[in-house]
Amino acid sequence: MKLPILPTTMVGSYSMPGWLERLKTEYFARRISRHDLDEIHDTVVKAAIKDQEVAGLDIVTDGELRRDNMIDYFIERLPGIQIDRSSKKFYYDFYDSEVIGKIPMASIGLVEDFKFLLANTDKQTKFCITGPHSLTKRVRNKHYPSEEALATDIARVLNLELKELVKAGATYIQIDEPYYSGFPEDLAWGVTVTNVLVDGVKAKTALHICYGNRYGKPSWEGTYRYLFPRILDAKVDQLTLEFARRGGEDLELFQEFKAPFELGVGVVDVKDQAIETPDIVAERIRKALKVLPAERIFILPDCGLFHLSRDVAFAKLRAMVQGTHIVRKELGR
Amino acid sequence: MRAPNGWAPMILHLNHTRRDAALAGTEETVAAVLALLEEKHLDPGDFARLQIHLDWLQYKQNFREAITVTQEARAEGGGVPVMEVRIDSRQVPAGGMRDCLERAIELRGKAAQSGRLYLEEFKPFRSSIAWQFNRLYWQRLKDWEQATGKGYETALPGGASDGHHPQAIADSVDEFWKLLNDLDNKGHLPAEVFLLEIGVGTGTRAGLWLHRFFEVDREHGTNYYPRLRFLLGDYSLATLERCRPPVEHHIDLCSFIALDALDPIKTLSFLRHKILHVHSTNMYDNLPDEELVWRDNRIYWVHVRAYLPAAEALGIAAAAEIPASELTKVIGRLLDIGPECLADRSRGVALWQDAWKAMRLEERLVGMEELPDISFPAGLSLPQMEDILREAPNDLRFHLSPGALDSFRNTLPLLHPRGYLEVQDIFVNDLAEYNMGFHGPGKLDGSIVNWVNGALLREVAERAGYNLHFAPFRYRAGSKTSVLHTTRRE
Repeated sequence: MKLPILPTTMVGSYSMPGWLERLKTEYFARRISRHDLDEIHDTVVKAAIKDQEVAGLDIVTDGELRRDNMIDYFIERLPGIQIDRSSKKFYYDFYDSEVIGKIPMASIGLVEDFKFLLANTDKQTKFCITGPHSLTKRVRNKHYPSEEALATDIARVLNLELKELVKAGATYIQIDEPYYSGFPEDLAWGVTVTNVLVDGVKAKTALHICYGNRYGKPSWEGTYRYLFPRILDAKVDQLTLEFARRGGEDLELFQEFKAPFELGVGVVDVKDQAIETPDIVAERIRKALKVLPAERIFILPDCGLFHLSRDVAFAKLRAMVQGTHIVRKELGR
Repeated sequence: MRAPNGWAPMILHLNHTRRDAALAGTEETVAAVLALLEEKHLDPGDFARLQIHLDWLQYKQNFREAITVTQEARAEGGGVPVMEVRIDSRQVPAGGMRDCLERAIELRGKAAQSGRLYLEEFKPFRSSIAWQFNRLYWQRLKDWEQATGKGYETALPGGASDGHHPQAIADSVDEFWKLLNDLDNKGHLPAEVFLLEIGVGTGTRAGLWLHRFFEVDREHGTNYYPRLRFLLGDYSLATLERCRPPVEHHIDLCSFIALDALDPIKTLSFLRHKILHVHSTNMYDNLPDEELVWRDNRIYWVHVRAYLPAAEALGIAAAAEIPASELTKVIGRLLDIGPECLADRSRGVALWQDAWKAMRLEERLVGMEELPDISFPAGLSLPQMEDILREAPNDLRFHLSPGALDSFRNTLPLLHPRGYLEVQDIFVNDLAEYNMGFHGPGKLDGSIVNWVNGALLREVAERAGYNLHFAPFRYRAGSKTSVLHTTRRE
């Protein structure tokens, strides 16, 4: 299935309904069973896929609605990491977790999630995972001599998983590393472990770097200049960055450093309830076209839509698709 | 206490710790109740469901009669409702408990009580006419102060605002300077450093704060001062005007912004995630409020109806030289246009002050199921509220603090990722504290004061990504204020 020019997709997560939040919390309070929660998750993932299709996205994700947050879903699957399961008050809280021994190589069971996505759409798909740098920042390290060493072992386990995903049919995989922006001093080893993670993975790989979206607000501020030139060593195909909220000034870095990547351009602000018009989206895309050819640009929201209400999230996706259509028409494609 | 015929016990809540008044009040109350029971002024069935609250209202001016009796409507299929008697020990005349109690019990539940001039129908407290008086006070503060001959700050418990304490300001400045310095060291110091004060009062705090910051910045040689953009926000244009002189030496850094404290992001959306420090002093306690009752796993809304006692209404009308029958209309005009409602402005101010002083609130409890359209403040849902209350004591009357919650929720999006909100106010940090004293509403000069439900604020904050810390104000002995400080929740 050939993608149109300026393909549209999500960064990963879709709107988390308030009622699902309550049900997840009910599960932690042991008031509903795991079986019931799994059924609920299947249903909401199907609904999230359908919303993306109706909104007109070219590439869909599973909306990440099975995940409590971007960390715990992976941490609790990684062997060798101990979790204090009493440490959550609200489902969205992070677990207290620590690593006390070497992390063994093992499957972490993401393939089933991907297969479910694949079985429920005819559209092209993208599967997203949290990267080793971000995971390392949320685990207390009581074994490894350095964060880099811990991150490298996590990357090895995730690399195995990515290869399983590719075997299952994944063609487009995104790695989320928002913590880069909070810890720019880690970037050198962050890029090294990213390369461990994607080594031998025969799919399009994208690296999503934002300024955080915890509780729907930025965790840090600054510019993407800190990424350059070190990020040029990353062996990924695409960088996915936020430009809607922060303005498009950093786009010029791509030109300045002749970055070889495709660019996933964030054109929808996920930290603002106000819905962009298609014209605003189109204007943001045109800005990106000044630094990169259309063939190297993907169109996305700035980050996950997790914290937006469903009606707002859907309307933003619609505006994003309509804005993209305006530009495609201008390009005659 | 058990009734003679074996009915269930009445409950007497002692809500204050003034030993002398508590002891005498308790004895007199018990004697009065038993006398009324024996004399058949009190039905044994009611006695069995009697809940008496002995309060000591620290606000000499308030909305209560000496004794208030409230009984919720009987819910379909529900049990016989509790009869709640609230006694303000301070107002009951010596030896007058029995008579006051008898009269209050007789009058309970009547649709309209003689001897009262009603100013409105029953409604949620936040919609009451009382808040229109409150708004008028801040809009026409100068008129009020001229009439009383004293500034509003003299009405505060300490006679001055705790917000002006020099050491508190010095510590606040130091903390902020350290934040800027840390951002600077990481290369993250914004070109413009935004600060916001909501509810500016006289502007004294802002002036003192800026002056202190100027000095600290000069001592360190950091040159952050010119980057400051100090926003003074208030809904009263008159207040914004009068707060200019204290900041005149820093006027180039200041902007005076008319904003609704309930929704700062509406006015300042262009500063989303950009403000490094938001501060307010004694602002939340003056925002529209509601009281709720949690009893037997049910939530009740306290609805109120403002009235003037008839005798006082007659006196007010006579002093204003208007027919008594015109009084409610004239009060309506007063709230619309101010003291110019009367040809003689000074009489208009006098009418305003007298009506405010005399105003009382009648109450009734309305069950949640009778209010299908009721909504909780942003960030708080009914299931959440029920979860919170399941952990709380039964028979709890507490403030919902919707104004404070709305203001808080609508301020958070303004905060820079490293920014923080600091609120100096009177907080109830644990719901159980509501059973240990009176927390408003009271009257402070021409305004309303309510303690703020810090426990609910904490819940809402956690869901919005912040932890709240409450520290008692340590700079003035006896101060009842605390300082709320936000930190980011990971």
